[in-house]
Amino acid sequence: MATSVTAAPNKPPATPRAGGASRRRHQRTPSGLRWILPGFVVSVGLIYFCIGYSGYISLLRWNWRPGRPEIIEGFDSYVRAFQSPLFWTSLRHTVVFFVAAFVIQCVMGIIFAALLHSRVYLATVFKVLIFVPVVIAPAIMAPVHRRVFAVDGPINWILQHLGLIQENALGNRDWTGWVSWLLTHLGMGNVTPNWIQPATSLWVIIGVQIWSSIGMAFILFYAAMGQIDPDLLEAARIDGAGNLRVLISIVVPSLRPTILALAILNAITALKLFDYPYLITAGGPAHSSEFLGTYIYAELFGVSRHYGYAATLSILLLILALAVSIIMSVTARERRPLPTIVQRRG
Amino acid sequence: MFETRSRLSRIWLTVLTAVLVVPFVIPLFTMFQGSLQGSGWANYLTVIQLSGFWLYFRNSIIISLGTIILVYILTMTASFGFSKLRIRSKETYFWLMMGALTMPEVVLLTPLVIAASKTGTAGTFWAVIIPLVALQIPFTVLLARSYVDGIPDALFEAARIDGAGTWRQFWSVLVPLAKPMAVAIIVLVLINAWNSYLLPLVLLGQSEGHMVVTQLPNSFKTQYTDDQTKILAGAVLAALPEILAYIALQRHFERGMAAGAIK
Repeated sequence: MATSVTAAPNKPPATPRAGGASRRRHQRTPSGLRWILPGFVVSVGLIYFCIGYSGYISLLRWNWRPGRPEIIEGFDSYVRAFQSPLFWTSLRHTVVFFVAAFVIQCVMGIIFAALLHSRVYLATVFKVLIFVPVVIAPAIMAPVHRRVFAVDGPINWILQHLGLIQENALGNRDWTGWVSWLLTHLGMGNVTPNWIQPATSLWVIIGVQIWSSIGMAFILFYAAMGQIDPDLLEAARIDGAGNLRVLISIVVPSLRPTILALAILNAITALKLFDYPYLITAGGPAHSSEFLGTYIYAELFGVSRHYGYAATLSILLLILALAVSIIMSVTARERRPLPTIVQRRG
Repeated sequence: MFETRSRLSRIWLTVLTAVLVVPFVIPLFTMFQGSLQGSGWANYLTVIQLSGFWLYFRNSIIISLGTIILVYILTMTASFGFSKLRIRSKETYFWLMMGALTMPEVVLLTPLVIAASKTGTAGTFWAVIIPLVALQIPFTVLLARSYVDGIPDALFEAARIDGAGTWRQFWSVLVPLAKPMAVAIIVLVLINAWNSYLLPLVLLGQSEGHMVVTQLPNSFKTQYTDDQTKILAGAVLAALPEILAYIALQRHFERGMAAGAIK
């Protein structure tokens, strides 16, 4: 019996049915529809309802009262968003975050994956330690990170013991002479060793978010490296390639699909970013760590509840997210948004 | 990956790894050390004696379990349909679902709050579980579909020839074969459901008995006027179940990711 198991357009052999469906045999009966329908209704139904509803309220001027919207003001709120400096600030932070997080995740993820594929002692312990930050909730870790970056916290303690920070008679911490000289000459003379301040808060958030997501990059790279043909590495070794040469010329190029997938994942994470910036700095001080998520939340639950304007920002955020994933999947010339990390070539 | 010819180079690589792992340990160490400052282990006692302490965990368990069960059922049936059954304009449905993949949670807030208060589900677990499920499904279906694509059609064909109906094929062929993928999906959904902060905060309310573990550390901010040691003790207690669950499932999770991820 010749069965085609590959191409979808080929009609599968008609199954004889006990019921009386023979009448519709010539039509393509949607026999699989009810299998996808429950999941489809729950996710697509709810999410597209929310998008539609947001689109509708984004056209209203709706402040504070949860009862009845006030005036329909059309696309004025969109104009307002584009004219708001805060919108562009949040967008800039998102881009900075994306670039920094993506680069560091790739570099560190590849290094960790390569190290743990070597014969390192205590490999399981290291793996768990690297991945545990992915597992713990940002909301649970946020108070801890505030403590880590506190003026008298561990980061400053380490810097003090490295001789970069000194404590004066009043117990205040400041940079040691040469560090402050260096900072002044780099034009950052006003930066004190207090991390939650306008000059550094964005980098605290970026650092914390990277801390919590390297584990995911590591796991993906680790799995990808396990798929590299050992004969290939052996051949390179016989040709006289050293460890670094093998890593750069053979391992990294074969990780390209994973790197692309991480780029998409990171872009979406950057646009979605909320928990850590909200819980560690609440987007401040002085909006120095504001992201689109915290901006929308502030409009939604802040002093004045601009429901309509928050919805406008939400729609803009959604358009950005869709645009990014479309652009990225087109550049990757792949069929689906995230196929590279999930493709099976079996 | 790196060649290690001698014992010394193995030790050297281990030391290098250990040094690089230090930044990962600093916050964990700070959390634990800070939780013991002041009155030591008594901090934990204070947290446990907090009124409604167990309710935080109960609520999180209900939400996580509900989300996992629903996501598992809906993902498995949907990936079976998408991968192995005949559906008219299948890819359109799939793409519509993937469009929801990029959905930021904050965008859902306003409509969800209004919808929940209109349907009278505000403050119930459903108001949190359903949106969580809706947000997880696009990603889990994407993972599961490509996994199921890798299961040879011939297996389903053989089952059909032996007289198995669609339901039987699902239950006796797909479910057992998709187990490695299912573990990875369950771990991912567990992390996302247990860690959800914004949705329970907004949709479940902040009254006593309506809070989840992610709000546990912060509850000491108001009640004991920012008592750092209790906050950190609360953080340790809230994080502990997850860390233990991950360590227990670590091997299976890694295998599932490797099987479903890159192959």
